[in-house]
Amino acid sequence: MNNVYIYEGDFISLLNIILYLLKNNLKPNNIKTEDYFPSLFENIISLSIPNDEKIIDKITRSFGIKALILMHYVFLSNEENKELILYYFFRNALKYHHNIIYYRNLKCVSEVLRISGYIRHEVHKMKGFLRFKELEGNVLYAEMEPTNDILFLLSCHFAKRLKNEFWIIKDKKRKIKSVYDKKQFKILNEEEFQLIDPKESTNEQEYETLWKTFYKTIGIKERKNDRCRRNFMPKKYWKYITEVSEEL
Amino acid sequence: MELQEKLKILADSAKYDASCSSSGSTRKNNGSGLGNAALSGICHSFASDGRCISLLKILLTNCCIFDCKYCLNRKSNNIKRAIFTPEEICSITINFYRRNYIEGLFLSSGIIKSPDYTMQLLIKTVSLLRNKYHFNGYIHAKAIPGASPKLLNELGLLVDRLSANVELPTENGLKLLAPNKKSKSVTQIMEYVKNNKSKKFVPAGQSTQMIIGATKETDLQIMSKSSSLYNNFHLKRVFYSAYVPINKDNLLPSLEHPPLVRENRLYQADWLLRFYNFKITDLLDNANPNFNILLDPKADWALRHLDEFPKEINSCSYYDLLKIPGVGVKSAQRIISSRKNFTIHFEDLKRMGVVLKRAKYFILCDGKYAINSEFFNKSFIEKNVLLEEKNISSMNSEQLRLF
Repeated sequence: MNNVYIYEGDFISLLNIILYLLKNNLKPNNIKTEDYFPSLFENIISLSIPNDEKIIDKITRSFGIKALILMHYVFLSNEENKELILYYFFRNALKYHHNIIYYRNLKCVSEVLRISGYIRHEVHKMKGFLRFKELEGNVLYAEMEPTNDILFLLSCHFAKRLKNEFWIIKDKKRKIKSVYDKKQFKILNEEEFQLIDPKESTNEQEYETLWKTFYKTIGIKERKNDRCRRNFMPKKYWKYITEVSEEL
Repeated sequence: MELQEKLKILADSAKYDASCSSSGSTRKNNGSGLGNAALSGICHSFASDGRCISLLKILLTNCCIFDCKYCLNRKSNNIKRAIFTPEEICSITINFYRRNYIEGLFLSSGIIKSPDYTMQLLIKTVSLLRNKYHFNGYIHAKAIPGASPKLLNELGLLVDRLSANVELPTENGLKLLAPNKKSKSVTQIMEYVKNNKSKKFVPAGQSTQMIIGATKETDLQIMSKSSSLYNNFHLKRVFYSAYVPINKDNLLPSLEHPPLVRENRLYQADWLLRFYNFKITDLLDNANPNFNILLDPKADWALRHLDEFPKEINSCSYYDLLKIPGVGVKSAQRIISSRKNFTIHFEDLKRMGVVLKRAKYFILCDGKYAINSEFFNKSFIEKNVLLEEKNISSMNSEQLRLF
């Protein structure tokens, strides 16, 4: 039988499970969250392991902060076997310590670097592509459907940038919202936070129109290059980008 | 005039300036204000021509007392003229920034009345933005040639980047097409910006732009000019802008398309000079004063210096790695940090971001050549590299850009 171990769905619980498996020499065929639907040959194992937050310090000390950040990025990704990749990365890190990130010839390391690069890339893109609308009551509101779970990383950026504004960013795919109250942001699910009948502010349409005018004007006709535009701004993001959504 | 129409006119007049970067500044939110700057810069959108939109790129006014032949806003053109009030610019900037449309403002202007008068209008606008609206986002302003140093200092303390456009690579070109512009007035600005050591003065440095293909200068002349600009004035960037025929004038060439491939080659070479330790003399000389349109400058160089290849990935120096076509700055750094820990083989290189189908002709991995070593000769490699380049350019029927 193939053993699939269950974790609670958060980063810390995953790290604790991995450490436990490594300490006890248990080899997982996979590590998944509770809602995982096992196949015929898979055996689900739930361990009750305390969610020890000190593991973050331990990893930082033994593998370095860079490795920890990479692991967290992989955790936020949409990659199917990310838990298993992290397990192998952890296992090798116990051997190579701070140097682990330089062993690109190991599959788990090159995978971690590839996937984390992908997340970093998407966060960077969304820092540019996210579009806020102004709602009544001076609240800024944005929607998105990113490939990876980047709401937390993105919120860190906007908490600095739009420090003195109320804002809400909604990840429609994962049905979570980040809500910022000029002091801190909180990530809340549908039950915890609902926007009731949001209305655009009276200025909103005026500025959207101004922006679209600017966008149309700034392109140089003689240099038109649609392919290049799509390479830099993939169509999967267009739905929420004010100036191009109508072109879809 | 309605704001909508003004924006249209004054963005249209500003669009030929190539600069769009918003990088290099670490301006923080001062606590009560709006925004901050991102060191790496952020692109917020991409226009129909594939160029990045990072800043609200507008002119304060398109009225101009100059009559530069190539410019849309020249005095002798009969076009609609407009002027923004400082308050109008502020409200558009702030409202665009809050909605995350832009990274900041790129404010340029035609010269109205006099250089000093124009400069004062720019200062008034930017100062309003910084001091009344507490805007901490990125601001790039054009310095007006001929304005007094006192005003230059005042503007420089408010913005992240200042730039003055060289426009044409030689004095002769300038005399011909921009009779009112003196190259001395531009170098004076650059000199002043370089020598002002205040930390708050132009924290993201200065840049400039040259128009490519409006006059007869060779690539060698253009690259020599930019190299001297980088060396003498510590410029952050020189932008190259393929000449787009807007005006009809018998002094101007009649081009059907802007020379985009040439523009791309210049950017590639510019990168080689700044980050790859190449010298102009490696790339061009009086016998070959222009870049090969068919091949990028690095591959072209490598094919002319095959005696230096193949290079062993596991032992050659960092600068030698940079000379290999298909290896960039990042992948070279990765190779250096990896090979301390293990011997690199061909299959590892792909994971490090090396473009193997380009690099394979020029390297050895642990003593091995990727293909039969009989094929290590110029005609074979050239044929294959050209074939590949052709595939790329037919895919991008127009041209890639590099900003």
